[in-house]
Amino acid sequence: MKQTVMSKKITGLLAVGALLALTGCETPTETRTVDSRGPDTINTSAINTQDWSNAADQLLASLLSSEALTNAPRTPAILAVDRIINNTSLMIDTDLLIKKIRVGLTQTGKVAVTNTLGLGERAVVASEAAELEEMQSGKKQKTLVPDYTLYAKLIQQTDRNSKLTQNTYSFQMSLVQVKTGLTVWEDEKQITKQTKAKPALGW
Amino acid sequence: MNKFASSLPAAALVLLLVGCQNVNTYENAESRATPNYVADKRVITDNTLAGAVRVVSINQATVSGNLLKIQATVENLKSSARTVNYKFEWFDQDGMAVNSPNEVWKALPLQGRESTTISTVAISPKAVDFKLKFRE
Repeated sequence: MKQTVMSKKITGLLAVGALLALTGCETPTETRTVDSRGPDTINTSAINTQDWSNAADQLLASLLSSEALTNAPRTPAILAVDRIINNTSLMIDTDLLIKKIRVGLTQTGKVAVTNTLGLGERAVVASEAAELEEMQSGKKQKTLVPDYTLYAKLIQQTDRNSKLTQNTYSFQMSLVQVKTGLTVWEDEKQITKQTKAKPALGW
Repeated sequence: MNKFASSLPAAALVLLLVGCQNVNTYENAESRATPNYVADKRVITDNTLAGAVRVVSINQATVSGNLLKIQATVENLKSSARTVNYKFEWFDQDGMAVNSPNEVWKALPLQGRESTTISTVAISPKAVDFKLKFRE
């Protein structure tokens, strides 16, 4: 009788072990595709995909609502992207913000971004093509002088108490009219993230 | 049992105090603004959310010459603070979606009984209609 109970236990244990082993083999990692613009994206103390889009959307809405581009000398107005200063502790590609602003502004039809001037994205092939055109036609290509320049700065401020770490990211942006040197629009958007401090002992 | 019974009112008071972080609002009695309100159609699939957060009104304006701007006034109907997510979508004259890289789900933290506004600007002059979505 004792032996029967014991053997049942052993069989049960083996079955559970086999089940665990099989389950383990089937799911080594689990990956799913989520909407990169949705609330299911991973939220960290850094700037995530949603934050970049959120900041770009707010800045764009502010610029377009300001009517600064309504008085542009031509349509589309020529815009050169100036310096984008990253004063955060994060190693980030500032195009995550600027490209979204550029795409938005270009789609309005009110702005065309120059790629041959400024510190923004440079179109190497376009510049070479222009040089080739100059060489073949013998005529100097006329480069359009920008009407506006766009300047941005990212700043991070970190505050801590015993329970929380708070990171505030400021996205500052200015639109400067080249002719006058005056800032015709500027705004600042902030995203604040609080992270609970980890306990001293992990167990 | 007596100790337990006597601690109940105290616990209830603490919960009440913690829960009540409502917002008091003051504004001019006679508003000078003349908003262009939009008659909206509502499709409710989450009754719990609809009972907690309400869209009071939606108004629109044209900015930068030909771009549609939408502003919605949102109210937290509960006394506790909560965060909801919202997203705007745009459609052109033919009912086709006008994709904007920046129209994402955004988090909206609301204090108890707080009323606030959310807004966006269409980046394409083709956008004539909009949808505003909410989720927990």
